Amino acid sequence: MRRSGWFALGALLSLLPTQALAATPVYEIEIRGHLFFPEELRIPADTKVKLRVHNRDATPEEFESYELNREKVIMGGRSASIFVGPLAPGVYPFFGEFNPRTAQGRILVVEGD
Amino acid sequence: MTHCRHWVGLFWVLCSGLALADGVSIGKVYHPYVTPLEWDLEWRALHVQENPEDGRERLQEHALGLGRALSDRLFLEGYLIGERSAGESLRLAASELELLWQLSEQGEYALDYGLLFELEHEREFDDWEAAAKLLLEREFGRFSATANLGLIREWGNGVDSEWETSLALQGRYRHARWLEPAIELHLGEDTRAAGPVLLGSARLGTRESLHWEMGVILGLDAPTPDYTLRGLLEYEF
Repeated sequence: MRRSGWFALGALLSLLPTQALAATPVYEIEIRGHLFFPEELRIPADTKVKLRVHNRDATPEEFESYELNREKVIMGGRSASIFVGPLAPGVYPFFGEFNPRTAQGRILVVEGD
Repeated sequence: MTHCRHWVGLFWVLCSGLALADGVSIGKVYHPYVTPLEWDLEWRALHVQENPEDGRERLQEHALGLGRALSDRLFLEGYLIGERSAGESLRLAASELELLWQLSEQGEYALDYGLLFELEHEREFDDWEAAAKLLLEREFGRFSATANLGLIREWGNGVDSEWETSLALQGRYRHARWLEPAIELHLGEDTRAAGPVLLGSARLGTRESLHWEMGVILGLDAPTPDYTLRGLLEYEF
């Protein structure tokens, strides 16, 4: 590989673990009885947030949202982290892929929250 | 603005520095994500009107794959690859194993990243190809940019034993689940090509979806075929 190729690869790798997570706000969501609690979550605009999703059911569930560009399976009795944003103000629906009729929710992104 | 110059500079360096892989290296652009519990049945095809490298016309390659998530970070897929060209019937040409390893949580860092390992055996000359590819992705609102940087080793009776590199870039606009326009760039020693691609997926039921891709990749230099049609159907369950 040419020297410039290695340089490019090194430059890309140096970008990987760039952002400290200490300042990332954390929001909790629970799955119980194939429902999301809370059903509606308000988060601030233009801010990356971490969703901690706790699946209290015995069966797996998948947090899915095309609008948020996220798809994450949470095994029964386990928790998972989902990073979303920074987002523009608006409503971003999500649902449970395993129980789409009952497991539905939305993230409300608001200015200055 | 500084960020923009940084990315443009990096892109230029990549194009000039990593375009070393030989053979036509146009194919699927991989994303660094694994969905646990998922199975995947995949068919993908390439059609090349004329391959300047060996003069073969109406060359077609079909790959049929079956994959399964091994954990929340690993996905394994095996392929059977068939080939045909003008005057030839379809024959089993190669087999391939792929292992995708998701290394970061989506959206956690400035770039999402993963690794793809490939091992391919070509039957006619008992040739082997092993590759490791760094998969990078970043969201910009409704846009997503993906890069696959490959380091490849070839050996066997029909090829020179050598190291190669490859680069594939995809810029995608997430217009709607069923339709996402994209543009791709593919670089290798005998490949410099770019063109538009349409992608999309449809939910068929609980834990069932169909993903599709189709594109026309245009050659940008003499060794690259004038155009390559690529298509993909992926049933995820």
